[in-house]
Amino acid sequence: MTIPSFHLFVQTLILGGLVGGVYALMASGLTLIFGVMRVINVAHGAFLILGAYITYELFQYFKIDPIASILITMPVFFGAGWLIQRYMLSRIANPEQTSVLVTFALALVLEGILGFIFQTTARMVTPSYTSDAFIFATYRFPVTRLIGFGTALLIILLLYLILQYTNLGRAIRATTQDPRAAQLMGINTSMISAFTFALGLSTAAAGGSLLSIIYSFNPSSQADWIARTLSIIVLGGMGSIPGALIAALTLGVMEQMTSIVVTLYWSPIVFYFFLFFTLIIRPQGLLGEIIREKG
Amino acid sequence: MLITENITKTFGGIKAVDDCSIKVAQGLITGLIGPNGSGKTTLFNMVTGLYKPDAGKISLKGNQIQGLKPSKIYHQGIGRTFQITRLFWKMTVLENMIVPVRQIGWQTLLSRGVKKHEEEQAMELLHWVGLSQYRDEEVRKLSFGQQKLIEFVAVLMSDPDLILLDEPAGGVNPVMIEKMMEMVDDLNSKGKTFLLVEHNMRLVMELCQHIIVLDHGQKIAEGVPSEVQNNPLVLEAYLGSTQNANASA
Repeated sequence: MTIPSFHLFVQTLILGGLVGGVYALMASGLTLIFGVMRVINVAHGAFLILGAYITYELFQYFKIDPIASILITMPVFFGAGWLIQRYMLSRIANPEQTSVLVTFALALVLEGILGFIFQTTARMVTPSYTSDAFIFATYRFPVTRLIGFGTALLIILLLYLILQYTNLGRAIRATTQDPRAAQLMGINTSMISAFTFALGLSTAAAGGSLLSIIYSFNPSSQADWIARTLSIIVLGGMGSIPGALIAALTLGVMEQMTSIVVTLYWSPIVFYFFLFFTLIIRPQGLLGEIIREKG
Repeated sequence: MLITENITKTFGGIKAVDDCSIKVAQGLITGLIGPNGSGKTTLFNMVTGLYKPDAGKISLKGNQIQGLKPSKIYHQGIGRTFQITRLFWKMTVLENMIVPVRQIGWQTLLSRGVKKHEEEQAMELLHWVGLSQYRDEEVRKLSFGQQKLIEFVAVLMSDPDLILLDEPAGGVNPVMIEKMMEMVDDLNSKGKTFLLVEHNMRLVMELCQHIIVLDHGQKIAEGVPSEVQNNPLVLEAYLGSTQNANASA
């Protein structure tokens, strides 16, 4: 254990905060889907990795910048999400209880297919700016993390605007708060679920692209990422997007801090400890609400 | 306007609604009364599509609607309020008013949340119930009575032909009840049809032009208020059989 100097402390905050923004984007889709559909999309991590691989391939063969490829992957994932909800999840009875199994199966199938195509070699997308960094007042700001943070924030802002100010957004919020009343107010909630799942997956597409320039990945890293994103939304409060933002930043900073103060290997564990203690005090998470099933 | 033919709904062997046929005539305020557990709310839930009837038919303006999705039925012209309000309590009053008027489709996904003419219509209705100053407040900050009024006018936003009111007076103070009765009366004189479930008998007798009485899921009587009031079957359902009372005495 080492006590970091002030300079190192601030530097760690910066690095952790930047990566926390990317976590926030990844988790926002997951929590949005849960909020509307009460479905935990266990395949979210696998879709992140799929997004990362598509970004990788687009970069290798077409020299498309990983950030630009978001413009391709997001619409594709949006469509895929719509189809998955429409033709798979909406067909199972009691989605609240059984969807975990179905999406877990989806995660394993995706991991299997990715493993078959790409093997287990760890990959990373390395555009020309991979190792560049800005120096500001003696603090380092790695370019990939800055880009990741900025892009993530932009997409979260877009998501917020959609939720707050559009027709779809209002219907999504209404369905989150009371699905039955929403139906009785003329909202086709199965349609809304499909669009929500689509929106959620498209954030995974963007998250995957950002992941690919910051972290190395292989098909089995999906388990890592679903664990991370799930813990974030549990800590933030299931269904709460602001909660996910706070929890994601907390996780980012904590991971970074632990790897400096203790060792890299401890960084996930410290976050889980924090998660456990939070849940003992606030079982609903930081900004979550206690869910009561209405009749 | 609304006709149910022999509809039945069973929950685990108990017939909540049993072979029930009722008619709601156009332009009238019809009251649906009966002791607790007589199947009133279940009937409402079938009419609005929350439950599928196990048997029987429901038709609205001549179109069969049984088994349709609630949102479909809503857009066919049935609006409904709840015993305990089900507003979206983290949304503002104005947003709650706008929710009911929109259909969601690919084309309108990203259209503006609140349009000018919708806002005007909503404000007019809020003025009418005297709550326009709360337009940007979150619904949860208002009193229960105020929420009931908002739910009531939100239903009017989409101009339904038939309005179902589930205990409009339940938990509401007497002044507010008067107000609500006046509004229903007023809307009825403009041609709106109402079906209401209510335990406040004075309200039912004064407001309704036709009354249907349910007991154990079946219709046991109907008619104008004075007929129903003096029907021995109705008294029995509410107060217990007089013969049993004699026997035990």
